[in-house]
Amino acid sequence: MRVIVAGVGYRNLRDHSIGVTVADRLGAHDWSEDVVVEDLSYNPIAVMQRLEDEPTDRRFERAVVVGAVERGNRPPGTVTAYRWDRVLPCDEEIQRAVTEAVTGVIALDNTLVVTCHFGGLPDDVVVIEVEPGVQEFGETFSDAVAPAVDRVCDLVVTMATDSQAAARLPRTPLGGARSPSAHAQT
Amino acid sequence: MCFKNLPIEFDAQGKPFLRAGVADPYAPSSAAPRGAPAQLTAERIEELLKRNGYIKDMDFDPVTRVAGALAFHTVVDFQARKVLEARSVATLFRGYEVIMIGRDPRDAIYITSRACGVCGGVHSVTSAMAIEMAIGCVPPPLGILIRNIALALEFLYDHPLHLHLLAGPDYSAAMVGPTNPSLLARARSTPAPHAEVHGFRTMGELMEDLNPLSGKLYLEALHMTRVAREAYVLICGKYPHPQTIVPGGMSSTITLTVMNEMYLRLSQFFDYSKKLAAIWDDLTEFFYAANPAYMQVGARRSNLIDSGIFDHPDAYDATYAGATAWGERRWATPGVIVDGQLVTTDLHALNIGVEEFVEHSYYEEWSGNGQQAHFPTDPVGNPLSPYHPWNKVTKPRPQGQSWKEKYTWDTAPRWDRQSMEAGAYARLWNTAVARKLPANPFIEATGTSLKLRLPKGALPELELEWHVPAVLNAFERNRARAYCTGFTALIAMNNWLAAMDRLKAGDTRTSTPFEIPKRGEQRGVGFWGAGRGYLTHHLTLDRGAVANYQILTPSTWNASPTDRWRQPGPYEEAVLNTPLLEETEDPKQFKGIDVLRAIRSFDPCMPCTTHIHSDAGVITREVNTCACGVDDAGT
Repeated sequence: MRVIVAGVGYRNLRDHSIGVTVADRLGAHDWSEDVVVEDLSYNPIAVMQRLEDEPTDRRFERAVVVGAVERGNRPPGTVTAYRWDRVLPCDEEIQRAVTEAVTGVIALDNTLVVTCHFGGLPDDVVVIEVEPGVQEFGETFSDAVAPAVDRVCDLVVTMATDSQAAARLPRTPLGGARSPSAHAQT
Repeated sequence: MCFKNLPIEFDAQGKPFLRAGVADPYAPSSAAPRGAPAQLTAERIEELLKRNGYIKDMDFDPVTRVAGALAFHTVVDFQARKVLEARSVATLFRGYEVIMIGRDPRDAIYITSRACGVCGGVHSVTSAMAIEMAIGCVPPPLGILIRNIALALEFLYDHPLHLHLLAGPDYSAAMVGPTNPSLLARARSTPAPHAEVHGFRTMGELMEDLNPLSGKLYLEALHMTRVAREAYVLICGKYPHPQTIVPGGMSSTITLTVMNEMYLRLSQFFDYSKKLAAIWDDLTEFFYAANPAYMQVGARRSNLIDSGIFDHPDAYDATYAGATAWGERRWATPGVIVDGQLVTTDLHALNIGVEEFVEHSYYEEWSGNGQQAHFPTDPVGNPLSPYHPWNKVTKPRPQGQSWKEKYTWDTAPRWDRQSMEAGAYARLWNTAVARKLPANPFIEATGTSLKLRLPKGALPELELEWHVPAVLNAFERNRARAYCTGFTALIAMNNWLAAMDRLKAGDTRTSTPFEIPKRGEQRGVGFWGAGRGYLTHHLTLDRGAVANYQILTPSTWNASPTDRWRQPGPYEEAVLNTPLLEETEDPKQFKGIDVLRAIRSFDPCMPCTTHIHSDAGVITREVNTCACGVDDAGT
C-alpha cells in the first residue's frame, strides 16, 4: 500500500510547527519504498495538484496527515488520531476554504477539505492532530506539547505501516468525535 | 503643475518647491481637497436611521471571496435603492513595520514577503530595491530582466485567480439567478459575441461555467495558477515566498534550459489571455446592454496612482536622483491620474505627493503638534510632508470601533490630499496615455488605448485593444484585469527575448555583490507593484540596521477609510455610488450583490494568512472579524 505521511503547519511558530517538525524528523526514518514523507505546508490547491501528479497506477492509498489544530475543547498537548470520514462541509464553506487556499492560508482542515473536494486525497485518511498550547514565534514547543512529539512520531510510523492499527481508529468528522471515548486520545 | 491642493509649485527647471508665504504648508486643518466627495456626518446618518424605517444598517462581515479580513458597513436606503454611508474596515493588525525595526535590512526581503500569501514575491523585490537605493547597488542587466519576468509570472497567477475564483462567481449563473432572475433568463437567450474565442455559445452558458467549484472557467483558472507558479519557481525557488531575491538582483542560475522551461509555461498564457479578454468584454457589454445603470456599479472618480513596474536594464540605476528617468522607461509607466487626466509620470512628483493620515485608523498621530519632520526633503531636496512615509512612524493603538472616531487598521494614504485608487487598470491607463513604452513588436500605446498583439497558439494570432474607459466602475476594473493578463504575458515575452539575447552573448551574471554600510544614515524606496497595483517600501537605515520601514500597498490605498476632510476611501466611494439593482423588494432577502461586486472589483487583499504580531501574541488565521484586528492593508 502506498502511503504519504504529510506534515502541515508553519515553521518557527512553536506548537503550530509540530506537523512540519514531525515530517522533518520522519524524513530520516527507514521507510519501505511505499511510504513517502513530505512537508505539505503550502497552498492546498498546489497540494491537490501534487497528489494528482502521481501516476494513476501508483496513487497513494492512505494519507497520514499530522498538524496542530486548535479545537479548544481539549487540553494543550492532547493528541487526537482518527480516520476522517471525508464528509465535506457545504459548498459555501468549501469556497471559503478555496479562497483561503489560493490566498495563502496553511491549515490542516483546509488542506483536507480542498484536496478531498477536488479529488486528490486518498480514500483512507488518518489524521493526527495535536492541540497547541501557545501561538507565538519560536523554535521550541511549549511544556504541554514538547512531550507529545516523540509519541506523535511513533504513532505516525504505526499508522503508516500497520494497516490493522489504522483500521482500528474511529471514522469521524474533522476534529475527531466529540466524546473522548470515541476516538484515540493520548 | 500637478498639485492642486498641496502648496507645491515647480520652478522653470521643473524642480518642485513650497509656495512662499504659507506658514504651515502641510497643516492638517487646511481646506478639503478640491472636488472631493464627502460622507454624510455620523450624526446625520443616525438621524436618518431613526426617522425612516426603510433606511437600515447593512453589514458585510466578513466580506467573503477576498484575501484576508475585510468587513464593510453600509447604511442603505431601500426606498431610493442607494447607499448612504459606506465604511471599509480592515479588521486585523499586521505589524511588519514594527517587526522590521532594528533588523538587518536583508531580513526585510524575507520578512515582508510574508505580508501576502498571494504575491509575497513583490514585497521581496520592493524590499531589495529599497535596499539597493539605500546602499548604492545596481543589478546587472540579466538580473533586472529576470526580476521583470518573475513579477509578470506573479501577475499571471494573480489575475486568473481574481477573475475566475474571487470576482468571477459574482457574475455566475449561481449568483445572478437568485439575485437577478430576469437577467439570467436574458443571458440564456443572448448569443455571446466572442463565442469563436472563448467557446460559449450564449451568455447563459458562460455564466454557468463561472459557477464556483464546478464551472469550467473556475477549474481552468485553478489550473492556470499552477502553470504560472511552476514557471515562477524555476527562477525564484519557491512560491509565494521566493528564495532568490537579493539586493542587486537575483541569486538564481539562469540557463537556456531554465529559459525554455519557463517559455513552455509562459506561452500558455497567450491563448488564455485572448479568452479572458473575450469573456470579460462579453460580460461587461451584456450587463451594460441589459441595464445601463450597471455602469454606475462601483463607479468613482478616475483618480489613479501607480508606481510603475518592469525596469529597463539600460535605464535602471537604483538611485533616487535617477528615478524620474528610469521610472519613465519602465514597461508599465508610473503615473498619477486625476479626474481622468494623467498629471505626472515623474516618480519624484509621485513620491512627494504621498501622505498618510490616521484620523479614523487605530494608530496614534506621529506628527503634527509642532513636531519636526525627520526628513523635510527627499534625497534630492524636494519638499516632503511630515505625513510622508519617510517621516511616518507606525504607532498602533487598538481601541473601540466608532464611525465618528476610529474604525479600521488601514491608514488613509492620499496623493495631493486626494483619495487615489490602485489597480491593474491604473497600470494600463498610465501606459496607454503616456506613450513611453520601449519599442517592441507586441504592445503599442496609442494615447487612448493599448494594442496587444498576442502570438498564435491553438487560437490564431490576435490583436486585442484595451481602451481607456469612460467610467471607472466594477466592470471596467475586471475587464482591465483581463486585458492586463495579455499585457503582462507580452511584457514577459519581451523580457524573455532580451534575456535570451544576454545569455547568447555569454552574459549570465544576475547579481552584483554588495555590503551593508555600518555607519551613517541612508534612505531608500522601492517603487514596484503588485498584481493589484502600486507598492512602495520606504526604508531608513541607521548604522546598518533598519531605523524605519513603511509599506504602502494597493489595498492600503483602496481600502482606506474616510479622511479628516470626510473624503471617503476608494471602496467607500465606489459603494456610495452603487445603485442597488438586485431584484428584491424585501430587505431581508437582500444579498447586496451590487455592493459586493463593487468591493470585489478592486481585488481586495487584507492578508491575515501569515504570522501576525501584536502585543497579545501571534495570530495565524482570522476566521471571523471583530474590530480587533491590519495596520496597512495587504496588497
